[in-house]
Amino acid sequence: MKTVRFKATINNRPVDLLIAPNRRLLDVLREDLGLTGTKEGCGEGECGACTVLLDGRPVNSCLVLAPEASGRQITTIEGLAADGRLHPIQEAFLEAGAVQCGFCTPGMILAAKALLDENPRPDGQAIKTAISGNLCRCTGYVKIVAAIRLAAAKLAGEEGAR
Amino acid sequence: MLACAVKLEYKGFVQNNPEVYAGSRTIFSKGNKLGIVQKVNSCRMKGVVLVLPPFAYYQPETLAEAVNLLAELPEPKKVLAGGTDILPAMRKGELTAEHLVSLQRLTELSQIELWDGNVRIGALVTFRELATSPLIQKACNLLAEAAASVGGPQVRNQGTIGGNIVNASPAGDLLPPLFALEAQVRVCRRGGERILPLSEFLLGMGKTLILPEEILTGVIFPALPERAAGSFVKLGRRNSLAISRISMAAVITRTPDGDIEDARLVLGASAPRPVRAPAAEALLRGKYPGPALLEQVVASIAETVAAILGDRPSAPYKRVAVKGVARQALLKVVPEFGQWN
Repeated sequence: MKTVRFKATINNRPVDLLIAPNRRLLDVLREDLGLTGTKEGCGEGECGACTVLLDGRPVNSCLVLAPEASGRQITTIEGLAADGRLHPIQEAFLEAGAVQCGFCTPGMILAAKALLDENPRPDGQAIKTAISGNLCRCTGYVKIVAAIRLAAAKLAGEEGAR
Repeated sequence: MLACAVKLEYKGFVQNNPEVYAGSRTIFSKGNKLGIVQKVNSCRMKGVVLVLPPFAYYQPETLAEAVNLLAELPEPKKVLAGGTDILPAMRKGELTAEHLVSLQRLTELSQIELWDGNVRIGALVTFRELATSPLIQKACNLLAEAAASVGGPQVRNQGTIGGNIVNASPAGDLLPPLFALEAQVRVCRRGGERILPLSEFLLGMGKTLILPEEILTGVIFPALPERAAGSFVKLGRRNSLAISRISMAAVITRTPDGDIEDARLVLGASAPRPVRAPAAEALLRGKYPGPALLEQVVASIAETVAAILGDRPSAPYKRVAVKGVARQALLKVVPEFGQWN
């Protein structure tokens, strides 16, 4: 099988690989680049655990053929913290108690980031729609919604921004 | 060799771990030495990895290059758009392609335009783009409503209208609205193209009239006139990430007096492909909407659905549930259906 070049920007860093074309973006992230924060749940687009941002929009990396992501901007959960400090959305998830087993958390946080980048002051309905592609079997979602509200407030500098 | 290794792995593991059976996907059928149907959750355990089979990948830059390539490649070959249906199907072995032609670079297929009263939508337009396009919301709101109901945000960012059509799932959510809008599809191959009604093109259950060397490049249909309105209602097992159990698209045109001039009612997920409800459409024509007429029409739609479903296992549920779906769809498009005069 002929390899293809995979050249992309992942978490603001350039990546240039030769890969077999029958790899999913999820596989390249986890296996070739060691970015294991992206989780594989169902493998067919039903759970959102493998969510990454592709050009700023959330997608299921298990449904993206890796060569299709070449030339694009990819953000994984590893790209959120900067200088050893958590991103305000990550802080909010911890503070609100929105993390239990943690398996859905990277996908939830990236879905939340895509929402807040586009709509800094979402109402409850907008938050629920934004995370409707992510399943959580622990929290019952209430604290996740609360965490995203808190994150919006943090990002707006209304509280907690130090 | 892989199969051999897999059997050895399973021999000790599966027998001691009955919960392994609890998963969702069969990766080997009956008839192996262990004589069991092996099901695993993510197909990743004990070194067993379900990978996409090998294929050659092509990324043409133009439509002309793409149709040339498809004309020359041997079968099995497949066109890749969003990939949200194809990738899982290839991993499960339900679909094989030794040559995969990606349409990603063909930005010419990502346009939505209104031209001479017709809406033209390129095959690569995503569900999200349809759901949020002001042009679609104005010219054919029911298509935007249907696109917004597909999967979750992640799938809507990736999946395309062209893929939804060619995949031809009985539960494809864009299909009932496109039937109600009487859409035509444009299909290109080297040296030619054809335009044909979606209702002829779509055979259902994964089948269409597309040839292996052809690319569906877009759909076209007349924008709804001022006096027409449409709606789409879907019933799934939950609100998001759900496959339609039953759905309905309605387009109703009214006279200046408010009478119903024309009605197109299309049911989804009740047959291999969307079906019109001609008896209910006839009941509506020439009448003024009101609750009594609504109940007559809903009963007629339920009869149509019961006849289509026959004694399928889902029939007792769907022939009742469709009444709620039909009532909602009609009330959404013509609020007077709920008002006594």
